[in-house]
Amino acid sequence: MKISKNIITAALLTAGVTGLYGCRNTSGTVVKTDHLTGTSSIIEENGRLAHQVDVVNIAYDEVNGLKRAHITMQSNRNRRLRVDYRICWFDINGMEIDPQTKTYRNQILEGRDTVTVTGVANSPAAVSSKLRIRETSQAE
Amino acid sequence: MKKSVFPLGLLCGAMILSGCATRISEVPLDRTAATTRIEPQDIRRTVEKMVESLLVAPGVKEFVSGRRPVLDVEPMQNRTTQHIDMASLTESVRMQLLRSGMFRFVDRSSTGTAAVDVERINQENQLGLVDASKAVKAGHQTALDMYLTGTLSEIKNVTGRTTDQYYKFSMSLKDLKTGELVWADEQEIRKASTRPVVGW
Repeated sequence: MKISKNIITAALLTAGVTGLYGCRNTSGTVVKTDHLTGTSSIIEENGRLAHQVDVVNIAYDEVNGLKRAHITMQSNRNRRLRVDYRICWFDINGMEIDPQTKTYRNQILEGRDTVTVTGVANSPAAVSSKLRIRETSQAE
Repeated sequence: MKKSVFPLGLLCGAMILSGCATRISEVPLDRTAATTRIEPQDIRRTVEKMVESLLVAPGVKEFVSGRRPVLDVEPMQNRTTQHIDMASLTESVRMQLLRSGMFRFVDRSSTGTAAVDVERINQENQLGLVDASKAVKAGHQTALDMYLTGTLSEIKNVTGRTTDQYYKFSMSLKDLKTGELVWADEQEIRKASTRPVVGW
């Protein structure tokens, strides 16, 4: 009877691990910037990522009539860290401009390194931007 | 003992059998790399980065100021050993630049475009169905100011069980009048894969 209990425990553990493997946390850190007023906000949705990566600087400018955002990230880990980021743009009505053309890009952060990522608006109508960072390991 | 083994066997059997079914699901366009080959997400990222680089280039700013130059995007050249739909890649670049509103476009580089235009104009005029005063005459198409070219090249190294694949996507924008290069940039992609010790 003792053996069967062990088998049941092992089976339940296996099933639990298998079930948990499918639970991917794709939430991340979001940086919203209004390029007209110059206000920015940082929303940390994923506690683990928030501990690993800090957003340390947000800057913006305009080139050839297109808004541009520069966001500086800093790794708090000693090991190499892989993250994905995407910068999307919104018009004055808050509508996202051509969402299909803005993709998630890879970024490798070496231990304790600081990296600045840049995004350029895909239209002169863009007035605000949103950067979203996610863990690469959690993406499909 | 026998009673507990039976449901366990059933559970294990069900778990094994569930692995046999083909699963189909939609995946994000920006999924992580699955192979060392060029994948759709690589093309999407490269096109986006290149277009962003072109739109903010100082040389382009000088050229564009106060007007919308006419641009032609030549089909990108594939210098890799892989089959990649370069026409689709070229269209993606053209589409993103078109949406920026900074340029006007003509399509002279695509194979047969000029011949088709001439044939259509001739057809319209020869059929006699069109008002002669409104008929389109040949020789009035917009002249080209600049053209964009690009190449994709690769370097592949295999060391033991590890394959290291490097891709470089280069593009340049040339002023047709002066022959000057207004902008040039390149994007690099490097991928590596390691075969398992036991596998097939």
